[in-house]
Amino acid sequence: MFKQLFPGLLLGLTLAMPAFAGTAADDIQVIDPWAREVPPGLTTSAGFLGMKNTGDKEHKLVAAESANTGMIELHTHINDNGVMRMRPVENIPVAPGSTATLQPGGLHLMLMMIKKPLKAGEKMAITLVFEDGSKKDIEAEVRHFSMENMKH
Amino acid sequence: MLERARAPGTGYTKMKLFFRLFLALLISTSSVYAWSLFSGSEEGRYPGMGGDFTLQSAQGEISLKDFRGKVVLIYFGYTSCPDVCPTSLGALSAALKKLDSKEMQQIQPLFISVDPERDNVNKLQEYSRYFHPKMIGATSNLDYLQALASRYGAYFRKAEVENSSMGYAVDHSSTIFVVGKDGKLADMIQHSDSPKRILEHIRAVLGKNI
Ligand SMILES: [Cu+2]
Repeated sequence: MFKQLFPGLLLGLTLAMPAFAGTAADDIQVIDPWAREVPPGLTTSAGFLGMKNTGDKEHKLVAAESANTGMIELHTHINDNGVMRMRPVENIPVAPGSTATLQPGGLHLMLMMIKKPLKAGEKMAITLVFEDGSKKDIEAEVRHFSMENMKH
Repeated sequence: MLERARAPGTGYTKMKLFFRLFLALLISTSSVYAWSLFSGSEEGRYPGMGGDFTLQSAQGEISLKDFRGKVVLIYFGYTSCPDVCPTSLGALSAALKKLDSKEMQQIQPLFISVDPERDNVNKLQEYSRYFHPKMIGATSNLDYLQALASRYGAYFRKAEVENSSMGYAVDHSSTIFVVGKDGKLADMIQHSDSPKRILEHIRAVLGKNI
């Protein structure tokens, strides 16, 4: 009984510890993560979120992964006189105290080779990977396009 | 030696010829422009732009001519575009929802894929209907699409992208082209991510074309 409890206790401790160690994953506060519902027959979509850096040094999002995709890339859009050029970026930096926002028309998580179609209302589990190797699990809410345009 | 001496001479006459051609072009375009200014017709808005075309869709060939009497809303994009296209088409869809059924009867939304390599007509039909039941998805071969896009002032280019499993991206402009009931290009909606803006532009063209 104790033998079974002990590893759990240890795991609990190691999970709690980083809260004081200040890894990127601890410093970054994730705001409103969501992913766009995929039109029928397609396997590409985009994920968005805000990342607030509550720490005192710069952090970088360097990768993202999900069991439901073959690949996630970090992308941005360059608006070149009205021509939108989508390109990969190596990382997404977040200065201390500031917020980096991944949003339509700009930075996004490029969700590629999606295995199970994303349906509005569902959650998609994504793991964010930061420059120090720390990871953060998030749940992105899948939204239909009609849920995006309400703000306009 | 002789050839070398001749070369600059031909170059010079060529330049003169080009200059004359250029002058002729300048005069003819400016007179067309001047004519359009004085004629005061709708033609003046985008002289020499737009025009008829024929594309392939899941329902067979479709031509712009088929929609005379309707206001046609054209968007150039591609289905594996994960962000810009769905944002624009979603905004267009939201704008169309605001129209009453009488207005909607006079509207034909059209999605033109500039990525025929990856988008076949069946995929396009499904994709278009996802955004609006009335939207038609169509495409053609790359040469035809390139010529069509430049006639409308749209831009697209296949761009090889390094360090990405995308293979290639399609750089493209994100504009909704509004063709009036007479088949002429009537308006371009540049910031196509705001349903409110799109609605205003559509209503303005509908109003002019009754
Ligand atoms: Cu992307």
